[in-house]
Amino acid sequence: MKFFKKTDIIAIAAIIAAAAAIWLIYSQAASGRPVKAEIYYYSQLVETVELAAGREKVFSVPQDDDVVLRIDANGSIQFIESDCPDKVCIKTGRIHLAGQSAACLPNGIVVKIVPADGWNGDEPDIIIGSGGKQTGSAQ
Amino acid sequence: MKGKSDNSKGVHKTRSLVLTGLLFALALVLTVVENAFPALPLPVPGVKFGLSNIAVMYALFFLKKSQAFSIAVLKGLFVAATRGVIAGILSISGGILSLTVMIIIMIAFNKKASYVIESISGAVAHNLGQFIAISFIYTGMYLVAYLPVLLISGVVAGIVTATLLRFIIPAFDRLGQ
Repeated sequence: MKFFKKTDIIAIAAIIAAAAAIWLIYSQAASGRPVKAEIYYYSQLVETVELAAGREKVFSVPQDDDVVLRIDANGSIQFIESDCPDKVCIKTGRIHLAGQSAACLPNGIVVKIVPADGWNGDEPDIIIGSGGKQTGSAQ
Repeated sequence: MKGKSDNSKGVHKTRSLVLTGLLFALALVLTVVENAFPALPLPVPGVKFGLSNIAVMYALFFLKKSQAFSIAVLKGLFVAATRGVIAGILSISGGILSLTVMIIIMIAFNKKASYVIESISGAVAHNLGQFIAISFIYTGMYLVAYLPVLLISGVVAGIVTATLLRFIIPAFDRLGQ
């Protein structure tokens, strides 16, 4: 086996191009779509909040008030405080596109952005796990 | 003559057992070293270089597939014991998918794929395996939104681990002699 071959550059470029293309198509398709945020606590949907522009809000879920979320005036949501060790949830930053999610796994809290009118089945059918049942296999 | 060859077979077996144990220990040390650094500032949980994959890859490329699988599973159990069941599940699901994909590529390209490509495929598969496990544990996640991050970070992690493996191979080879 060789360490590196010239043809590897093509393969790597193809992966990067695919990643860029997926991101472009996805963000084009998702931007401008009205959304809401679903907040899950250990896989249980505990709260759904509207993400309309111009409405700021700072809140926690009743199950864990060490974790604080904020909705910004521009209609995005983010974790701003958490007692978890890695702070991945806070580093995720603002999310606002349908399909994005932010998670604080140590506290079991997941925020998912979904279209305000729900997934309608036009999307590529790649929602993995229990949430996929909403659109995928049922149709 | 016969006795001698049986004996050398036993020595070979012991040697491979010891070597697997050493590689497992190395995988654990690499995991600890990696966890000592601050997490990469990336918006997806669990994305990291996966330095312990160096030990798994060495086992896969130069020893036996079964030894590589043993190391991946043992490492997952160690993670489960030290950092909780969920971390363990993520480690095992990422590790097994990663190894499976690397073996498929090894066979498909008749062992002619480079370390870099093997390592990148393994890293991307590791990311995907973890992502799928997270999706199952914490409700469904929308893969398309994260695929670009998983692909790019897999490429970077794959190149890093392949490069490190290249420098470590001579040291590993001395272990095996």
